Amino acid sequence: MTNPYVPHIAVLRKIVTENAVNDIKTFVVEFEDPAVAKGFGYKPGQFGMLSHFGAGECPIGFASSPMDGGTLEFTVKKVGVVTTALHDSMVGEKIGVRGPYGNGWPVEAMEGHNVLIVGAGFAFTTLRSLAKYMLHEDNRGRFGDITLIYGARNPGELIYKYDLDEWEKRDDIDLILTVDRGDESWMKRVGYVPTILEEASPSSENAIAVICGPPIVIRLSMPILTKLGFPPEKTYLSLEMRMKCGIGKCGRCNVGDKFVCQDGPVFSQKELEGMPKEY
Amino acid sequence: MKYKAIAKDSIQGFIDGLIERRRVFAPVEGEKTLRFREVSSGEEVCLDFYNTKLSSKEILFPQNEVLFKYSKDLGAIEAKAGISKNGEWVIFGIRPCDAKGLTLTDVFFSSGEHGDQPYLDKRGRTAIVGLACNRPLNSCFCTSLGSGPFGEEGMDLLLMDLGEKYLVKVLTEWGVRLIEATQGLEDASEDDIETAMKLSREAEKSIRTEMPTEGLSEKLDGMFEDPLWDSVHQKCVGCGVCTFVCPTCWCFDVVDEETPTSASRIRLWDTCQFPLFTLQGSGFNPRPTRKERMRQRVMHKLNYFPKEFGAFACVGCGRCVRECPVNLDIREIIRSVMSE
Repeated sequence: MTNPYVPHIAVLRKIVTENAVNDIKTFVVEFEDPAVAKGFGYKPGQFGMLSHFGAGECPIGFASSPMDGGTLEFTVKKVGVVTTALHDSMVGEKIGVRGPYGNGWPVEAMEGHNVLIVGAGFAFTTLRSLAKYMLHEDNRGRFGDITLIYGARNPGELIYKYDLDEWEKRDDIDLILTVDRGDESWMKRVGYVPTILEEASPSSENAIAVICGPPIVIRLSMPILTKLGFPPEKTYLSLEMRMKCGIGKCGRCNVGDKFVCQDGPVFSQKELEGMPKEY
Repeated sequence: MKYKAIAKDSIQGFIDGLIERRRVFAPVEGEKTLRFREVSSGEEVCLDFYNTKLSSKEILFPQNEVLFKYSKDLGAIEAKAGISKNGEWVIFGIRPCDAKGLTLTDVFFSSGEHGDQPYLDKRGRTAIVGLACNRPLNSCFCTSLGSGPFGEEGMDLLLMDLGEKYLVKVLTEWGVRLIEATQGLEDASEDDIETAMKLSREAEKSIRTEMPTEGLSEKLDGMFEDPLWDSVHQKCVGCGVCTFVCPTCWCFDVVDEETPTSASRIRLWDTCQFPLFTLQGSGFNPRPTRKERMRQRVMHKLNYFPKEFGAFACVGCGRCVRECPVNLDIREIIRSVMSE
């Protein structure tokens, strides 16, 4: 039996500052051992445990798509000890990565369906992984229409602008961007994500909705999705919890008898209806 | 053949024999507490006690444990569990409640896609020598949770104190090997066995807590929002001692520790009774007050764990009852639930 707590060593290849406030960065990492890189498969919506040795470890969702090849990307907001240490790191430094953990977005179930993606703020990371995965030329044909609604507080806080620019040029994704407050250069929509979702009214016919964002956005969006006709078993959310192990042992991320690290982090609204409201 | 007997003055020799080829952990009288320690001689072992202050979980799941060491230049990770000396270990003198606790620990740490190697590695090499409980305490309630003062679950040998000698029940093949070379071991007589049965009945009778637990887990299914939780936590001070002394609490924190000469990742006992346990980076805490935290502890032991593993994560050892500084009593909570 191998020790599941030992991470693989990975090297920081590139660090991208994602927002104007400069507290969100994307870390592009590559496993030091090519054999590890080769054997490391993951799904959009799964997560890894990232180590900054000396500071500790924390769970971060994969922001890259498994179709991207040799490197992994993690978008990290600077909030605590480990994330601050990561933010202070330089290209070429070594970190630890173990995983993948969790169930991920239900990509198999989404095949043959239209897909509505609703994201808000910094929680867009694993949705970006999902969007990139579906938009890949090898995969695009397996999904129907894709509508992506994404919003942030202001234009400077939208992350992955380079992807958003590219997706806007495509005709196989309906990209709806919004900000709570615009500025002089902002020509797109202004309004909270739930409001824009209601305005856009995407069809629920043969569709699956996935949503990730701050609790308030989720709470206000759920009734709208219901009104639009998305049934609870076809609406998926990704939960966030404090975690130490990622493998169902450290005991803190449970919601009722479900471990978010193992049974989640993605749950359908139907599953959540049967779970205590402790998340 | 299943029963042997050994005179009390031969028991030190028995332990010394075990130590010759194994690491042995047994109850040792400390300055203030009796707890499990590695022993280097049978002389150190105390077998006359009610129960140890801490359960024996600290042997296989220590309060702090190195998960692995790494070099600071990250050239190498030494991927071994903290203690991984080869050879057999023996936990000697464990009460039936704690032995049952170990079986639950085994189930939990083996579960899921990733077994907990640091625990399982030690557990797999560890034999269990139990010591039946002639004098259960007022706070004991093992009989309400499917065990008893003479319970055998999880043991390789069970010792029963008959006064002048111990009756030794051999429960597994491993148990047979443990006593192979023991001096002073004789076949047990019918009388010895009869005496032990009598002691067992008396011990069971002396446990005054009679608490129905049938259907308890199912009952809790619909009680997450019950007003019960508004009241039961009121006097709790949130110290977490109930979880630290519990043989079936295994929550942990993980931290890195670096000194000028070494670097390790360590796990430490943690507790669901502390607010930091679930506090998220965003500032949101899904269990912000003692109400949610006590509900988590009770629900985990009596509802979530049974749903997943088919058994209560409580063995009725009574430590949480004995150690609580404000006399919170899980038996009272169970009774309240059952009477709802």
